[in-house]
Amino acid sequence: MQTWYKERKRQYDLPFVILLKLETAMTTAIEQIGRSGLHAFSSFLDTLAFAIKILARMFDVRAYNSAVRMVLINQIYFTSVQILPLFLTVAAGFGAIVIGIIGQYLIHLGLFDYFGQLLMGFVVTEFAPFITVLLIALRSSSAVNAEIAVMKVNKELNTLHVFRIDVINYLFLPRILCGILSIVLLSWLFSIVVLTSGLIFSALLFDMSMNDYVTVLLVSANFSDLIVMSIKCATMGFFIVMIPIRYGMRATDELTSIPVSVLHGMVNVFIAIMIIEVVSLIVMSLIEKFI
Amino acid sequence: MRFYSGGELLERELADIMSQEERRLGLVSLDAPLISNLSVLSNVALIKQYHGHLSVREAEDIVKMGLKKLQLEDIAEKRNPVLLEEQRFCAMVLRAVMVEDAVVVIDRPFKIMPDLDDTSFIRDVLTSVDDLFQECHIFDYLWNEERYTGGMIHGA
Repeated sequence: MQTWYKERKRQYDLPFVILLKLETAMTTAIEQIGRSGLHAFSSFLDTLAFAIKILARMFDVRAYNSAVRMVLINQIYFTSVQILPLFLTVAAGFGAIVIGIIGQYLIHLGLFDYFGQLLMGFVVTEFAPFITVLLIALRSSSAVNAEIAVMKVNKELNTLHVFRIDVINYLFLPRILCGILSIVLLSWLFSIVVLTSGLIFSALLFDMSMNDYVTVLLVSANFSDLIVMSIKCATMGFFIVMIPIRYGMRATDELTSIPVSVLHGMVNVFIAIMIIEVVSLIVMSLIEKFI
Repeated sequence: MRFYSGGELLERELADIMSQEERRLGLVSLDAPLISNLSVLSNVALIKQYHGHLSVREAEDIVKMGLKKLQLEDIAEKRNPVLLEEQRFCAMVLRAVMVEDAVVVIDRPFKIMPDLDDTSFIRDVLTSVDDLFQECHIFDYLWNEERYTGGMIHGA
């Protein structure tokens, strides 16, 4: 009897144990996925709530005093003015290359009539904001993230709290406003530089007169595209500064938390840029469809 | 002056006074350092700009007068990391007295200036700006009490 029982147990329990282990592993994996999902969702909601809080402050006139204005001016100088030599060089360089390549391809394909539409539709509304936001994110978002994290570690945020200086008004608002202004204005500047270099290159490479070039651009210009482009730039400017601020605030009292917060902040900035790009493309296609 | 036998008790009492005098609090403490990316002038002027709604120039003029009283005009454009301990303490005191009707609370001054032998320097600093604050409270450990001998400090 005992031998029979042991034999049956060996036959049936072994697969049962394996199944049990498999079930446990699957449950753990599903729980982990659920936990990560919930964490990502709650983090997204937190970011959204923080964004709404910042937006509300942005329209509160009492938030702006001489200290806040001074920070805003300094931030605009550091973000938009100091970057100008590099920015203009990149704009002129990229502009020349992109216009040269686009023009050559269009001639090969016999589609040079679409030159203006490609310049306005691709270079101005897509390429210029994307390169601008990348440059500003690489340079300023990382700096803002590190700055806030260092202030947190050094207890400087505690100083502001002790002296009843609102951190949102004094630190965050001017930086986010600067982000919005910088991206919008630098994108326009990028477009102007690219189109200007396009003027020179189209004259040199494609024997296009200035009059023809300007006419092609004006005919191709779509006002709603330019509005959507400006809104997209403003949204990107808002998030590429707000996200690093949020991650900077997550730094602990330890110095080692600074690089970790910058790393997470920058990864999320690039995810945000991608999401905004996709959303703006959907919005643009909907506008074209319905208007 | 208030002396305490342990850090926990001191910090509890400190938290109490900070919450009681929240609106008039001018804290001088390593837990409220100067902002490192601002000069001393901007650090101190910030209080007047933010709460007094003064322009940058008006606020900086007041700070320059304060620095002159402390004979520290040369540190106006310096930032926190390059300051000597005494200079840092003076800048923090000046920032504290910029609060309207300030109640200056100095948290363990010998932690800010460990090389100081006695309180004569602290007394001199506070006397120089005594027209700018209402009360002053110094919190320290019991074992530092003898360093305060002869250095009684009263509010203005």
